[in-house]
Amino acid sequence: MQEQDNVKLAERRAKLLQAAAKVGRGVTSILDQDLLLDQTVDIICDEFGFYYAGVFLIDETGEWAVLRSGRGKSGEAMIAAGHKLKVDGHSMIGVATGQRKALIALDVGEEPVHFKNPHLPDTRSEMALPLIVGDDVIGAVTVQSTAEAAFTEDDITVLQTMADQLAVAIRNAHLHTENQKLLARAERRARLLEAAAQVGRDVTSILELDKLLHKTVDIICDAYGFYYAGVFLVDESREWAVLRAGRGDAGASMIAKGHKLAIGGHSMIGASIEQRKARIALDVGEEPVHFKNPALPFTRSEMALPLIVGDRAIGAVTVQSIEEAAFSDEDVSSLQAMADHLAVAISNAQLLEELEAAHAELLRTKTFEALATSTLAAIHWIGNKALPISTSVDLLRDDLLSLSGVDPDLLASMQEDLDTIDDSASLIVSVQEHLIGPAREEKPRPAMIDDVVRDVAVSMDIPPNIVTYDVAPDLPLIVADTTQLARAFGYVFKNAMEATEDVEQPRIRVEIAPDEENDQYVAVRVIDNGPGIPAEEMEKIWAAFYTSKGVSHAGLGLSACVQIMKQTDGEISAADHPDDGAMFELKVPVYDGRLKSVELPSDRSILLIDDDDRWSQFVTEVLTEAGNKVERSIIELSGVGRFDLILVDNVLALADVKAALKRLKSAGVNDRTFVVASSLRVERTMALMPLGIRDIVLKPYTRADLKALLD
Amino acid sequence: MADARILLVDDERLVRRSMEKTLFRAGFDVDTAEDVSGGLALFEEALEDEEEGPFDIAILDLNMPNFEGVEDANAGLKLLSKLLELDDDLPVVVLTAFDEVERAKEAVKRGARAYFVKGREAELLDIVNDILDESE
Repeated sequence: MQEQDNVKLAERRAKLLQAAAKVGRGVTSILDQDLLLDQTVDIICDEFGFYYAGVFLIDETGEWAVLRSGRGKSGEAMIAAGHKLKVDGHSMIGVATGQRKALIALDVGEEPVHFKNPHLPDTRSEMALPLIVGDDVIGAVTVQSTAEAAFTEDDITVLQTMADQLAVAIRNAHLHTENQKLLARAERRARLLEAAAQVGRDVTSILELDKLLHKTVDIICDAYGFYYAGVFLVDESREWAVLRAGRGDAGASMIAKGHKLAIGGHSMIGASIEQRKARIALDVGEEPVHFKNPALPFTRSEMALPLIVGDRAIGAVTVQSIEEAAFSDEDVSSLQAMADHLAVAISNAQLLEELEAAHAELLRTKTFEALATSTLAAIHWIGNKALPISTSVDLLRDDLLSLSGVDPDLLASMQEDLDTIDDSASLIVSVQEHLIGPAREEKPRPAMIDDVVRDVAVSMDIPPNIVTYDVAPDLPLIVADTTQLARAFGYVFKNAMEATEDVEQPRIRVEIAPDEENDQYVAVRVIDNGPGIPAEEMEKIWAAFYTSKGVSHAGLGLSACVQIMKQTDGEISAADHPDDGAMFELKVPVYDGRLKSVELPSDRSILLIDDDDRWSQFVTEVLTEAGNKVERSIIELSGVGRFDLILVDNVLALADVKAALKRLKSAGVNDRTFVVASSLRVERTMALMPLGIRDIVLKPYTRADLKALLD
Repeated sequence: MADARILLVDDERLVRRSMEKTLFRAGFDVDTAEDVSGGLALFEEALEDEEEGPFDIAILDLNMPNFEGVEDANAGLKLLSKLLELDDDLPVVVLTAFDEVERAKEAVKRGARAYFVKGREAELLDIVNDILDESE
């Protein structure tokens, strides 16, 4: 009997050893830790015929043994429930891990240390084997049987051997996993560096700013696999970071809405620019500094990288991921390297843009200025030399008409040649006038700009049904040399008239209002319904001698406007109006001097020959207040002898000035008659002065100027 | 008054010659001078000329050498004053290439009947004829 028992025992030992060896062989080649653990519990149960086996691993805190694999549905249920046992606690696993020893409970129903596990109600015997590698306990294996007294002390030795092999395999698998992670990180790092290098390579050769920025966001998203990237640049006020490029539809929509963030504000971009530091929000939902952007609802991680050139932050890059905790410290250093490349490239592109703008500005103003000033004498000389050409051409024309017996074709040809000579001479003479006029010294003074503009249109005989005005109420006075300003508006109106020559119902709309962007200016917009300005000509039109209107134009009108507006401290710009043709906008500075309180002469009888407009209302009100008797008329001129002073507006929409002056001369009151003009031109002066008027003077727009005239 | 005597003073030879021809063809008797001194001398001589009589009208450039021979933008104005001292009824047309209001007004204040901007010669005959018609 004893011998039979010994044989059985030996057979059991041999079987256990075989099973242990099989477990050892089976597990040592498995490098995936989860697979290794699952296979281990299956092999143990299948080979040893146990009811249940499970593997616990000690967590990072070292306090808990967490069930990582368990046989069957019981195991799955416990893992799902996060089953764990306290290391060095009262459970068998707790003792095995805490005291580094295997232990057996043969009749588990009566064993006080046993945890009565509801998932494993049939367990009658249990063995807990520590998993030890070197000096470290990494976990424990539980083996359970439905048979009472299923394990002997000898079994412990055999199964501990298996557990030791398992522990080594687990450690190997763990190391393998760690190696894999390290490898993945190294690969990611290499990819990030490559992407940074690619950004560096690609962007430094792009000198067009918008193209550069859009290319950058695409490279970042494509190379790094991020959800979104965008580039913000600091605006001129240095108060805002303005989105200049953004990935995809979200970026396009935000740019269209003018998306901008306050520098130093609560946004990550605003903070990164102000602090000149990269900022990361790994779970942006909980990061208080994060701007909750409705256009990018899936962002879970965000990085903001400042774009720094020298010691100045010129903007920032935002990089966003749909994964939580998407960015590591290595990502920051790699992306910041990329951002540094980008900052230099942006700075270069900006410098180039500034250079181009400066060049364009030079083209707009300096060429004209240079022509108009340093070569003024030469232009004057050339113009003078061209003067006799027209006269001589006229003489030749007369000569041709008196010739007889000339071939009619030859005659026509000679007349055509004379026309060409005459046109060319007129052009040279007009160049002289275009250049000399704007170069004259400015005499800025306060003025009603709407009065100046309306006078220009009337003087040019622009039909009233073509031009309409939209004038804001309570316009402030502007400050400018009104003669020069009128010259500029003359060019702009001439342009508008020529642009609408072929339009069936030509329209010119004039809008005058305080400038919306800067209330220190009044903006005058002249909008025609012609074909507009082709985009390719938009910059060229300002250059001296550029014209798209053929050989009969000198191409100096708009460059003269630039010169005049520059001297006026104003601006001129052109654009295509969305609903009409070309739109020219002239911004003229508001008069910011103090209007003197002056005492005006009183007890005078004054006749005002003028339309009922803002200027005549101003003069009537001011002179009446001062105790004068003021009458306004444009037609009724009888009994004018009773007036002490007669003021005639140089431009009347509803009457003829020369006819009125002739009547005043007939009435013998011309010596008390002043013509007041918003701008003075010599032809007009010489047409009116010989009518015996006292003088023709600039129209007074302030009480002080009015007093000077009356005195 | 097609046979009226006209004094034309301008230092630009070609301008002077082309205007002279224009006026001559219109039937005027034209004498020319290239500076203010020459112009004054011609005018004074004509006052003594019993055969042809004094000038009926003077056309003066403004910007030319003055009586001291120095280039002067107001040389013509000075000649204008001198001519009107000699004949206060003389119709004078001033010429200049400068489109400048104050100089024009000054010319009128000194007694000029008209101011003519060079380069618009086609209107010259009209101006001269108008002034001569008014003088008759």
